[in-house]
Amino acid sequence: MIRRTAAVALTALLTLAACGANSADDKKESEGSAKGGKLTILTAQTDINFDPAKSQNLAITTLGLVLRRLTTWDVQPGKPAQVVPDLATDTGTSSDGGKTWTYTLKDGLSYADGSPITSKDIKYGVERSFAPELSGGLGYHKGLLAGGDKYKGPYTGGELSSIETPDDKTIVFHLDAAYGDWPWIVSMPAFTPVPKAKDDPKTYTQKPVASGPYEIETYQQGSAVTLKRNPKWDAKTDTVRTAGPDQIVFQLGQDTTVAAQRLIADAGDDRNAFGAGFVPPAQLVQVQSNPSAKQRLVTSDAGALAYLALNTQRGPLKDVKVRQAVEYAVDKKAFQVASGGATGGDIATTLITPGIAGRQDYDLYPAGPSGDVAKAKQLLAEAGRTSLDLTLLSENDSDSLAKAQAIQQGLQRAGIKVTIKPAEESTVTDTITGDKGDYDLTVSSWQPDFPSANGNIQPLFQSSEIGGGGYNISRYSQPEVDKLIEQALAETDATKAQALWAQADKRILTDAPVVPLIYTKNSFLHGSGVQNFFVAAFPAYPNYLKVSLKQ
Amino acid sequence: MRTLRFAGFRLLGMASTLLVISFLTYAVFYVLPADPARLSCGRPCTPERLAEASAFMGYDKPWLQQYLDFLGGIFTGRHFGAGQAAVDCAAPCFGYSFRLNEPVTQLIGERAPVTFSIAVGAAVLWLLLGVSSGVAAAVKRGTLLDRSAMVFSTIGVSSPAYLVGLLGILLFGFTLDMVPVGGYVPLTESPVDWLWHLVLPWCVLALINAALYARLTRGQMIEVLGEDYIRTARAKGLRERRVIGRHGLRNVLIPVVTVFGLDLGLLLGGAIITERVFSMQGLGALLIEAVGTVDLPVIVGMTLFAAFLVIVANFAVDLVYGVLDPRVSR
Repeated sequence: MIRRTAAVALTALLTLAACGANSADDKKESEGSAKGGKLTILTAQTDINFDPAKSQNLAITTLGLVLRRLTTWDVQPGKPAQVVPDLATDTGTSSDGGKTWTYTLKDGLSYADGSPITSKDIKYGVERSFAPELSGGLGYHKGLLAGGDKYKGPYTGGELSSIETPDDKTIVFHLDAAYGDWPWIVSMPAFTPVPKAKDDPKTYTQKPVASGPYEIETYQQGSAVTLKRNPKWDAKTDTVRTAGPDQIVFQLGQDTTVAAQRLIADAGDDRNAFGAGFVPPAQLVQVQSNPSAKQRLVTSDAGALAYLALNTQRGPLKDVKVRQAVEYAVDKKAFQVASGGATGGDIATTLITPGIAGRQDYDLYPAGPSGDVAKAKQLLAEAGRTSLDLTLLSENDSDSLAKAQAIQQGLQRAGIKVTIKPAEESTVTDTITGDKGDYDLTVSSWQPDFPSANGNIQPLFQSSEIGGGGYNISRYSQPEVDKLIEQALAETDATKAQALWAQADKRILTDAPVVPLIYTKNSFLHGSGVQNFFVAAFPAYPNYLKVSLKQ
Repeated sequence: MRTLRFAGFRLLGMASTLLVISFLTYAVFYVLPADPARLSCGRPCTPERLAEASAFMGYDKPWLQQYLDFLGGIFTGRHFGAGQAAVDCAAPCFGYSFRLNEPVTQLIGERAPVTFSIAVGAAVLWLLLGVSSGVAAAVKRGTLLDRSAMVFSTIGVSSPAYLVGLLGILLFGFTLDMVPVGGYVPLTESPVDWLWHLVLPWCVLALINAALYARLTRGQMIEVLGEDYIRTARAKGLRERRVIGRHGLRNVLIPVVTVFGLDLGLLLGGAIITERVFSMQGLGALLIEAVGTVDLPVIVGMTLFAAFLVIVANFAVDLVYGVLDPRVSR
């Protein structure tokens, strides 16, 4: 335990020293955050959907400023993300072996209009997320709540009986099966209170009832969204939102190149701005030769996993020896270079990503960053194959193709011939998540929707996630692993669950259904007036809730 | 009577062209492997939830039925879903974007002023610039003025809008800090800011397009100046300005107007690259995003609207012909 803490601290120090990430001078201010000013956020997005039922927003970005949930995320640099109470007094008490979860609301909570937030509003918010008219959001709860599979929302289907509100402060959820990560599930946008009387599904995307520190002042379709302070928000009830700026303006539809240039120039109002999108490669290079901009570039800790999926149900790839040969033959170093080098990511060997609690570091196929061609050839010989012909399905943009070529050239060294099949992004998604599975290899990357090892493993490796829109794109089916996953899902003791996930991580990789390539890093720029701006490993996006402006 | 019949035929022709285009757009997107319902399905997307989303948006019906529903909606409006969460799309309904939660008609209405502001201003500028430099080059043929005008136009014709736009922003926006680096301010909000934000995009578009018009005008003018009637006009003792302006230019303008009409029509349907570089949310930006996210209703609606504009521009060109060349209307 002590060793792990020390390792985390060391990593944090190295990161700070190496790339000026999460810059040191911000640290001094991190406790008392200054109040006031107008913060500008530059985004390429052209619309922001504030309807919690339809949103896939992370807890620490846009929606988190306006809407509170039962629980939320405490994200800080160098530390694994934690689930903490938001509207509720704790992260949930389970009974019935993890099938029933009970929450109590804090005292003194009210909406922007002064009316009190009740548990009935949270129940209603969850219910409306079931309406097909309001689909599009994160819907993990829909498959977990008892009776959720048949329920069609409050507009046509009445109430959902598996959510109970014995009084205005208490809410009880009944699940189909025990689920240990339920505290993470209730941090999702659908667990935002929506007062039934104020619910107009047609306009809620632009006019949500605010429970967080900000409310929407103006919404100009396609160009800007302005947030102002919500006077009824009480900082004493909120442990994660610092609510620094008086006003926050989202400038929509900004060209990422121009936005990066504006932030590099750091003039006028742009001093109090940051970019919501990744800094494009060309500007990353430009920043390196500009000392002022370099100080304002923040690179995340290594986060989302980029991996090569091997279709375990296809021809020679059915043979585990062949898949293990691929593990050794891949040139991860070349892939890293194609992803932008060291600022693009760190070499990966595990499935659970850094920044996730319970991760254990290991390397089952120790071959060094450039692979071990001799070992790969030896394994292929053991499998009785002298040559191999595989197809690699890749998105057709130049970045993706460059990465695909890095894989192709790596495998070529071991006598594995790879033919790249480029396709449109939506076509690739439909093919890999579809039922037919007509591909041998594909490169993908995965950032879970909630920071639990569960999110790294279950969606990608449970056999129920093959086809039908699921993301088990290596089409990996192993009863032993399925059992481990079910066991871990049901475990309500976090430490025990984490140990099970770590066990599943290693167990899966012995079958080599995927090759972990890199833990990707994202880089963001901010103006000189912005402080408390940091990007953790998970999620590798700025924490909007803690940003403030120098006064 | 003859004019009326002509106009009637013309309208019928326009309507059937639009019908064919809408049908083809629908057909093309139907054969694409991507499923537009998946976009609105959320995550995780189970087959049951996908089917529900698909039924709500009407994507579960046979595609011909979908197309007929679309056509019907133009006259009667449409209605999706049930209960309080149902979505209305009033006539004329050219589809409903479930991604942006707005009827396509309304989206086009919101975005059109941006594109129109860019297009009309730029078009006026490039027409003036292109034609005048073309005429000057033709009249002073072979001089330094002619040569330099043509060199500039070669550069202009071969410059990509994206590059010129970015360079313009870098120089005038960042380095000289003379104009804003992007964004759009509605005319109704502040005419001065509106103009200020548009100056650079206008200049960039004008610079690129004027080049073509300069070359066209010059070539045409040189040809016209060699005609007999110009010699006659000069022999009559008319002043050179009148010879060029009245007798020459009028004939030069006929092909110029043809190209101009089409160019303007196309640009009004979306100044895709310019809007992108200058972070302006016009029709072009709307279309590009719709294509990227398989937002079928927006794609079909936008395609129809752009086609409509080109057809109208063509019609307008025909009318202008009549004014420029009385023989046409006879």
